[in-house]
Amino acid sequence: MNMRMTGKMSSRLLPLLGLVAGMYSYSVNAATPVLEIEIKDHLFRPSEIVIPANTKVKLVINNLDPTPEEFESYELNRKKVINGSSKAVIFIGPLPPGKYPFFGEFYPKTAQGTVLVE
Amino acid sequence: MLLNSVILVLHETLEAALLASVLLTISNQQWNRVAWLSIGIGGGMVLSFLYASNMLEISEWFDYVGQEIVNASLRILATLLVVVGTWALFKSRQFDARNGPSQRNRFISLFIFCAASAVVLAITREGSEILLYLGGFLPQKEYFQTVVTGSSIGFSIGLSLGILLYYGLLSLPRNWRLDVSVILLAIFAGNMLSQAVLQLTQADWITSAQAFWDTSEWLPESSTLGKSLNVLLGYEATPSAAQLIAYVLGMVLVLASGAAGKYSKDNNPTTIQATNRQR
Repeated sequence: MNMRMTGKMSSRLLPLLGLVAGMYSYSVNAATPVLEIEIKDHLFRPSEIVIPANTKVKLVINNLDPTPEEFESYELNRKKVINGSSKAVIFIGPLPPGKYPFFGEFYPKTAQGTVLVE
Repeated sequence: MLLNSVILVLHETLEAALLASVLLTISNQQWNRVAWLSIGIGGGMVLSFLYASNMLEISEWFDYVGQEIVNASLRILATLLVVVGTWALFKSRQFDARNGPSQRNRFISLFIFCAASAVVLAITREGSEILLYLGGFLPQKEYFQTVVTGSSIGFSIGLSLGILLYYGLLSLPRNWRLDVSVILLAIFAGNMLSQAVLQLTQADWITSAQAFWDTSEWLPESSTLGKSLNVLLGYEATPSAAQLIAYVLGMVLVLASGAAGKYSKDNNPTTIQATNRQR
């Protein structure tokens, strides 16, 4: 294998590896902001959160109620059941600026909130 | 609260019922085999109970995204079963009682296995969510009756729509039935794979990107039509590129596996005659 072959191979391999590594980025790096939301008495607290535009954000939802709730949002494209007295992690973003409402599907009248992306 | 429980349970029931209906149409029309469905439903109910009971612990797996990983895996597995089942369906049609009864039966059994397993997985997924929903209201006397009533109505409507699809497919002209059924399977496979990708994106196992298109101005996902199309076809107002690719991939896999089963090389002239004899 001569030097020219190696150069050609690595110029194809590296971008491919980069693509694979990018797609399988399981580990959350230190730069991902973390935001906490509580569910208590079928209400989201805080009901309005602000996140930066075009940024991936880790939402930690702590269900303090004894009964399960489902965090759902059409605009954010997220849906997850959170058992009673337990917590769940949902990743949202990157999102363009705007208002993204979410609600609790099990108690939609009270459990409502908005993600403001600025 | 009543309407909410109707819609919620209807949505979950429909997702499983539609898949089951199409698979049942195929097995009934081709081979008069329908008994597998009861095993699929029974197995699904047992697994959905086990899944829901252990959801607390499962949710904590993989840094609190265990639910997404398991749901995505169930969907991917169901997609693979539909793909293999479609291949087996067309392979079985290459043989008949005269030239290869044992091979034919083997492919029929493979289809039945895939169909029953896919139904088990679908019911496990959807049933567990219904159980978690209902279970949450057990200790709440003031809501429980309303929620159970609404859930029963939603479940009945979902079941009825599934049955409607079944008889609707059976009423189609004979030479359309199989093609329409396979196209529906392709759509369901695309939908399941796309939803699996969405779950993995939610869990950050796939890097998320911005939406590929935004049709929420024309057809919001929260509208009745939007929700209906979401259940039936997997309509998304803001899908990511990865979701779209997965959807197309799911469809292509089913259609390709059908073609592979139909046109795979076989030099036996009696097989070709058998294929032409098939209804």
